Amino acid sequence: MNLLGIETSCDETAAAVVAEGRVVRSSVVSSQIDLHARYGGVVPEIAGRAHVELLMPAVAEALAGAGIERPDAVAATYGPGLIGSLLVGLSAAKALAMSWDVPFVGVNHLEGHLFAPVIEEPALEWPLVVLLVSGGHTLLVLAKGPGHYRLLGQTIDDAAGEAFDKVARFLGLGYPGGPAIDRVAKEGDPTAFRLPRALMDGGYDFSFSGLKTAVVRTVERHPEAATADLAASFQAAVVDVLVAKAAKAVRDLGAAGLCLGGGVAANSLLRARAPEAVDVPTYVPSLAMCTDNAAMVAAAGAWRLANDGPSPLSLGPDPNLAFPATP
Amino acid sequence: MLLGIETAAERVGVALADATGPRAGTWLDGGRRHAEVLAPAIAFVLDQAGVSLAEVDAVAVDVGPGLFTGIRAGVATAQGLAHGLGVGVVEVTSVAVLARAAYDAGWAGPVASVVDGRRGEVFFARYDGPTAEAAPPRRLPPAALAEELAGRRDLLVVGGGAHRYPEAFRGLRVAGIEHPSPRALVALAADRLAAGCAPVPAGAVRPLYLREPDARINWVQR
Ligand SMILES: [Zn+2]
Repeated sequence: MNLLGIETSCDETAAAVVAEGRVVRSSVVSSQIDLHARYGGVVPEIAGRAHVELLMPAVAEALAGAGIERPDAVAATYGPGLIGSLLVGLSAAKALAMSWDVPFVGVNHLEGHLFAPVIEEPALEWPLVVLLVSGGHTLLVLAKGPGHYRLLGQTIDDAAGEAFDKVARFLGLGYPGGPAIDRVAKEGDPTAFRLPRALMDGGYDFSFSGLKTAVVRTVERHPEAATADLAASFQAAVVDVLVAKAAKAVRDLGAAGLCLGGGVAANSLLRARAPEAVDVPTYVPSLAMCTDNAAMVAAAGAWRLANDGPSPLSLGPDPNLAFPATP
Repeated sequence: MLLGIETAAERVGVALADATGPRAGTWLDGGRRHAEVLAPAIAFVLDQAGVSLAEVDAVAVDVGPGLFTGIRAGVATAQGLAHGLGVGVVEVTSVAVLARAAYDAGWAGPVASVVDGRRGEVFFARYDGPTAEAAPPRRLPPAALAEELAGRRDLLVVGGGAHRYPEAFRGLRVAGIEHPSPRALVALAADRLAAGCAPVPAGAVRPLYLREPDARINWVQR
């Protein structure tokens, strides 16, 4: 069964064809990074307009790449995300499904990320602790299997990726902040400045806004500080917290594996440190599978379709859609 | 068979037209829930008319100007349908659909179509007859438009913008036509097709915003 997935929740316009729920036949991502870079962040109205122009070419390319004229079902992200962006992919997906007379299924973007390891790791063992970190979300999840999730913790203020973007902007490193800090930090000393590790002794929740403020204060006190040292110290503080909480969850809950996901999972320090912190297998997705893509949406959609059936055509975009925790 | 989609204003409309003209349609209060209401409305109209999507050989859509999110839901839906069916799209504007409704109702003189543009502005276009666009769509404050139209007692003013700013259009002849209707939309699109106007490919359909995105305006002002 070939399923066409569509993802337009933020600033990536993506379409992919996935067979049998996990075999990626094609995956197309049209990034809008260049459109938003000059503003230092994603501009919702610009993103919505770009999706309208980029989506059909992406769909056509994904179908051609998979060598099919029409899929057997269509899935699209319906939340969480930017409402003006979500409704483009969702509307087009419903219309495509109607015109092909195939089922349509809506996908929770966060669940989509949890299917990255399903696609990439044939030997995946459950239960998994999943650390999902991006510009929009910071979640720690216990996944007992597809569709069975417990939300362990989340950020109480900024998302991890948002902290990277804000600190990068403050340090004059440009947008997107994650790759910029990662690059510069390689030349810096991560122990140069002692920055706070928030909520280290607490549960599984995260907080990153204090860290951003601490970077600002450090620069005020040390105007001569090298940008590379600041970036390295900041990155080390973020990664310390992420890895410590993820490792604690693996230990506490007896998980069979740790999995990273989301754009911040592309960070080289996080990718290196996470496997060292646990004695179970760590699944580190490819860079293309960390950032938003439609293959993960198609894989999640295939599972939802098989287990819950199609979604109604009245399904609307939900910018604040909650994580799909199961009781 | 032509399938028309209207989401440029508060209402969601769907209509079908064949060679003899408009055949079936529905017109619903969409609120701001265009993306929820539109696909079921299409399924309903097709079902009521006993028409299958496979019989649709062109899609018509209102590309604006009007509500940005409504237009995007309509355009994305038209793109998806046209792509899936392998047919083309007839792009029509909200202001032309409004004028068409006036002509279909028997008016023969010039028409001023005025759409609420939000933020104290309106979108406006003028027509000298059923097929004659005299002033292409543009955006301006209602007071400026009132000045431009002052004394034009030959004009019929249509559209939600005239109802939103009644004081600006006092002294002019304002019709009750408030939202672009799906029936006028398919009638207009069917005439265009009959006149030999070629539909555009699904991926080439573009909304007509008539306003720069927010951030760009802020950037210029900074
Ligand atoms: Zn994401």
